[in-house]
Amino acid sequence: MKSELAIKITKVKEVKRHTKKVLKGNTAAAEAAKICKATFISAYPITPQTTIIEEIASMISKGEFDAVSVNMESEHSVFAAIKGAALVGERVFTATSGQGLLYAHEVLHAIAHLRLPVVACNVGRPSYPWNIWCDQSDSLAQRDTGWIQIYCENSQDVLDTLIQAYKISEKLLFPTLVVLDAFYVSHTNENVYIPEQKLVDEYLPPRMVSDTDIDIDHPKAFGGLVAPELYDKFNRLFWQDMNKVEDAFNIVGAEFETHFGRSYGAIEAVNIHAGTKKILITLSSITTTARGVLQSNPDVGLLKIRLMKPFPKKSILKVLEKVNKDCILIAIDRNYLGDNEGALMQEIKRAMYGGSRKIFGVYAGLGGRDVPPTTIEKIINIDFNSPETEEIIWIDK
Amino acid sequence: MKTESNFLIKEENVFCGALSCRGCGWSLLVRHISNVMGTKTVYVVPACCFSIIAGPYPMNMLKGTVVHTLFAAAAATATGVRHSLDRQGKKKSAVVVLAGDGGTFDIGLQSLSGAAARNENILYICNNNGAYMNTGVQSSTATPMGAITTTNPSGKTSNAKDLMGIIAAHKIPYFATASLAFLDDLKKKLEKAKSLSGFRFLMIDSPCPPGHKYAPEMSIEISRLAVETNYFPLFEAEDGDYEITHFPKKKIAVSELFKQQGRFSHLFKTDATKLMNSYQKEVDTEWEALLEKVEK
Repeated sequence: MKSELAIKITKVKEVKRHTKKVLKGNTAAAEAAKICKATFISAYPITPQTTIIEEIASMISKGEFDAVSVNMESEHSVFAAIKGAALVGERVFTATSGQGLLYAHEVLHAIAHLRLPVVACNVGRPSYPWNIWCDQSDSLAQRDTGWIQIYCENSQDVLDTLIQAYKISEKLLFPTLVVLDAFYVSHTNENVYIPEQKLVDEYLPPRMVSDTDIDIDHPKAFGGLVAPELYDKFNRLFWQDMNKVEDAFNIVGAEFETHFGRSYGAIEAVNIHAGTKKILITLSSITTTARGVLQSNPDVGLLKIRLMKPFPKKSILKVLEKVNKDCILIAIDRNYLGDNEGALMQEIKRAMYGGSRKIFGVYAGLGGRDVPPTTIEKIINIDFNSPETEEIIWIDK
Repeated sequence: MKTESNFLIKEENVFCGALSCRGCGWSLLVRHISNVMGTKTVYVVPACCFSIIAGPYPMNMLKGTVVHTLFAAAAATATGVRHSLDRQGKKKSAVVVLAGDGGTFDIGLQSLSGAAARNENILYICNNNGAYMNTGVQSSTATPMGAITTTNPSGKTSNAKDLMGIIAAHKIPYFATASLAFLDDLKKKLEKAKSLSGFRFLMIDSPCPPGHKYAPEMSIEISRLAVETNYFPLFEAEDGDYEITHFPKKKIAVSELFKQQGRFSHLFKTDATKLMNSYQKEVDTEWEALLEKVEK
């Protein structure tokens, strides 16, 4: 197990054409917006997203970042402005958190169904009870808006994922939300390898302006009232393309590896083999803690979900093909969304429908509550074969 | 004989087949706007009567780009469009918001205020017909006191919001009121607004036969009466310098304007003297206040 983690780090070290810096997750996001050459940025401050937009504003004012940045008066307007800019053909960026994302909900639908390749960062925090710490209920409550959602584990992941987000968004014309954990990722300093500009340019050429963008010399109407037959048809086309995202995202990840030397896909499987007895399924920074715990638990595997929306059912089923049918799946949810199961548990159950595998859902770390290695061990050590063990468990009482 | 509007319109930038009601202010207004603005214009339209009048997908009644956007977000969407056109070097294009009073006075006020305070290079035009007419005549904060709407079936009990006062407080380069009964004045104001840059705002008093309850052929006459009674004075302010652009020749009581509209008819079923006196007093006070602003 130790070897898999070690290989990953070694690979990074071998890569040429990178500068090594110590960056917080938020700084990595700002840096990514710059090296992806976003041209229009609108923003409204909210904790803990603020340093992303502050650092972008600073880079623009120093002339290091060539983009237009507009300070809007609300997140609803932030997303409306990037919608307008994306319609004209610009490569846009914004970042928000919690209440801000919830406030923009209406615009998220419009951006997705106008098929705009918008990329936004969300630093996950909850809404109520009022709390500013790490939680994924804000972004997971946007699962049905038609945005691609990718969850990041650390600062390097944030930087790399944002580059990939523009690639997948502009390829299939869907918006992408890149999610990082409040404080555990947003405000934690880590080593980050920043690719040189030319390397990014080779992977991510400027956004192509198409005939579906605003062209003042060829006037068109955008977003008008759509009759029932056309509404149904447009949604069918949306569905068809959305079903291509998982495969396309795996290709984007593979192409990323050939350019940058770091490997990515819709999921990451660690220590999953025929003898694996339990698999922890995680999003974001909890994965890092679990990686450490796995080193002393050789029969426990880890399945990190990067692509949360659309849920990568194919990739997951493929990884589980080699696993014994008695292997137990444990979805760890850092979100509560008003139902019995958390979002990850819901998605896993949906993906595994018709199978006989035992699946458990564990709530852990909501609202920033710490999930130390001992908590992960506590999860692993639950007696899942006892008839008294409930399907849904809150690990901390 | 050509009508005045045909004489004024040199370039017809509106296709036939608009989905408006008979006597609608919107469809008259957009003929004059598009004539002045030309085809290299992006019209940003939040939910309002004009979203329907402009035509469902894939139709477009205007010779110009139309972006239908969310109810609360017209000025914000226009902000993104304007900056992006500038970034692409398309400086000669214009970005014009066409919004109703609901999308301006109520749900869109925040984004309007944000864009005005940032002095975005946008022309914002509010077609004020004094209620949510598109959804079937519900009260907005532009609805005058006393008017019957479906959500105030006994008549609205609060005053209309002083939006021009709010706009003035933003200290934008240009704002003006205009009327479809004074087309020369409307054209001049559109041309002036077009020639300036920064945030510009036009408030149009818009006739609405089904909402205000009168016969469609009365639209222009009622619009004229609104100006002649000083109920809707015509003025403009460039860099904060107010000018009144039409002085009524003789004083007409505001009750004459109200009597023409079915939405106020209940007021006249009993003795309306007290209410009309208070309305008249308010209209007179507002006019005096406007005169003072001009003198300053």
